[in-house]
Amino acid sequence: MQRIFQIDGEETECWLGHDGSRFVLNTPNGTVACQLDPTGLPGGYTLRAKGVVRELRLAVGPEATFVHMNGRTYEVGRVDPAERLAGSDGGTGDDRLVAPMPGVVVSVAVKPGDTVEEGQPLLVIESMKLETTLTAPRDGVVAEMPFAEGDSFGLKDILAQLAPEEE
Amino acid sequence: MRRIESLIDTNAADYKANYAAMSERLKEFHARQHAARFERPQRDIDRLERQNKLGVRERLKLLLDPGTPFLEFSTLAACREYDGTVPGAAVVTGIGIVQGREVAIHANDASVKGGAWYPHTVKKVVRLLDVALENRLPVVHICDSAGGFLPLQHGVFPDRYLGGRVFRNQVKLSQANIPQIAVVGGHCTAGGAYVPTLSDYNIIIEGTGAIFLGGPPLVKAATGEEVGVQELGGAVMHTSVSGTGDYRAATEQHAFSLAREIVSQWKRTPKTIIETASYEEPYYDPKELYGIIPKDRKTQFDMREVLARIVDGSRFHEYQPDYGTTMICGYAHIWGYKVGILANNGVLFNDSSLKAAHFIQLCNQNRTPLVFFQNITGYMVGREYEERGIAKDGAKMLMAQGGSVVPKFTVIANASYGAGNYGMCGRAWDARTLFMWPQAEIGVMGADQAANTMADVKIRQLQREGKELSEEEIAAIRDPVLEKFRRDVEAYTSTSELWDDGILDPADTRNALGMSISASLNAPIDDPHYGIFRL
Repeated sequence: MQRIFQIDGEETECWLGHDGSRFVLNTPNGTVACQLDPTGLPGGYTLRAKGVVRELRLAVGPEATFVHMNGRTYEVGRVDPAERLAGSDGGTGDDRLVAPMPGVVVSVAVKPGDTVEEGQPLLVIESMKLETTLTAPRDGVVAEMPFAEGDSFGLKDILAQLAPEEE
Repeated sequence: MRRIESLIDTNAADYKANYAAMSERLKEFHARQHAARFERPQRDIDRLERQNKLGVRERLKLLLDPGTPFLEFSTLAACREYDGTVPGAAVVTGIGIVQGREVAIHANDASVKGGAWYPHTVKKVVRLLDVALENRLPVVHICDSAGGFLPLQHGVFPDRYLGGRVFRNQVKLSQANIPQIAVVGGHCTAGGAYVPTLSDYNIIIEGTGAIFLGGPPLVKAATGEEVGVQELGGAVMHTSVSGTGDYRAATEQHAFSLAREIVSQWKRTPKTIIETASYEEPYYDPKELYGIIPKDRKTQFDMREVLARIVDGSRFHEYQPDYGTTMICGYAHIWGYKVGILANNGVLFNDSSLKAAHFIQLCNQNRTPLVFFQNITGYMVGREYEERGIAKDGAKMLMAQGGSVVPKFTVIANASYGAGNYGMCGRAWDARTLFMWPQAEIGVMGADQAANTMADVKIRQLQREGKELSEEEIAAIRDPVLEKFRRDVEAYTSTSELWDDGILDPADTRNALGMSISASLNAPIDDPHYGIFRL
């Protein structure tokens, strides 16, 4: 999947190539030879494809290209395939916060029973001269906060536990 | 390459507090920089005028292409030495554009102590000539110096990297076929006489410029001969009798137009070609860095947010995003130049060190320059990590980093502590340029840790002698040490001592890096080769 274009919200796969003399548009339904020549008007071009000649206007923006043709404007957006195909990054978060390194708890922001949102700070730890804020991996309810302010903890100790998600 | 999605909320209280704190710091920084560049006692300004000489900044204006950037190095050198009386260490250095080409510039500032060489002056000039050697940049010397500052001659003259190194580097530049020109706009006495005479070309300004091994007073003392400046070493004598000088200039303006003409005749060597993309401004505003850098140095922040405000289009291709996550590695473009970036997101562990070593090798293989963003409190300590071989994995990172053949650039963005400074291409590791942000700190350890360690040693020593100390007595030992250390780790101490090439307003980082990378491509890139990796 080399390129994904969104034309008025609908996704299309295609790839523009060149066969040595003219442009060729490769689509899942075959190839189409085409030619685009400037007309001299601002953004004006003549498109020749499949024996049809069309006058059109192009406006290129950072996110999308707008094509005005036959009295209609089409919005053509480019989608980054690596991003589009990556899927939902991370998926559902873990229930536990595991200590990334040994250290000391600086402060605890929540207690068991509290409802938290994803990204909400749960506690601050200090290790190697750095304070790190650990946040909720997902929306949920706090089940356990095993360490209090000033407590030391070891590598991979559980620093916070959320109640299991009810399905 | 995908755009980094910033999670910064510019309306958040933290962001606003950070922004205010950084703005305050920058106000002080810009004021100090302005003072070091332009503010001089009236008598020094009057003296230059009386001598019919232009100030060093006006000379630079005559030399450089109008409208082009000048990357000035170490503007605040010596700011914490000599009671602050030698701004910029009495010399201006940097990379500028003359007739469309990048040149290294070394210009004495005669408005400071007559342009005398202090220990920090020598350090700054030697550094500039090292930059010229490493990047194969032609050098323009603008000479106007009273000579070595005699009361501190031990710090100016004898050691390996002191005065002699200036001339040694000039010889090495010439040997490497890198051209040099000197404009003599004041006296070049004793050692100083070798700056123009070791240059391929030199120009002497009539009336003000002079070159001699011993000036008139010294000659009188040594031999009894009475001779004036002009007869002894003026422009006319040297360009028509001794052949020590090449061109005689009627005025400063004439001298610098001649210098520009000569530079334009030098053979141009094609620059090294690396991967490039078309130039793109960052998508996120670089000024937002002010709100991202925490006002408390101990607070963690995501370096991706920093990168998003420095690289082209805020686009970043992250390498191994889920492994060794305290070390961010990946590719981006700066001013269109493809670079490999290493940035700290926490302490260096075994996995993060290995990831860095591997990524550095990828960049060397691919001839991609490396940019380091330091926020490093060190390599992880403790039994668990020693057993896993943290020192061995750190050594691999050092071997890869130190053995790199591609140009390296370092920004000390926040903390730079201990061996982390080494792994992340600190000063000793030959970064082509190394800049510091104003709130950043550098030291073997943090000020608190250092003060506690030193106080503990003292307290235990006293305890062995049977003395019990009260809280107040402990504080009396600890507090002065803490105060000294806090000052010692500050960016102003670093820049005063030339441990960096200058402090940067974070928003200027992108341009400083762009110019540095562009200049580095005047030198070829070798084939990759390394020492032994302890596996």
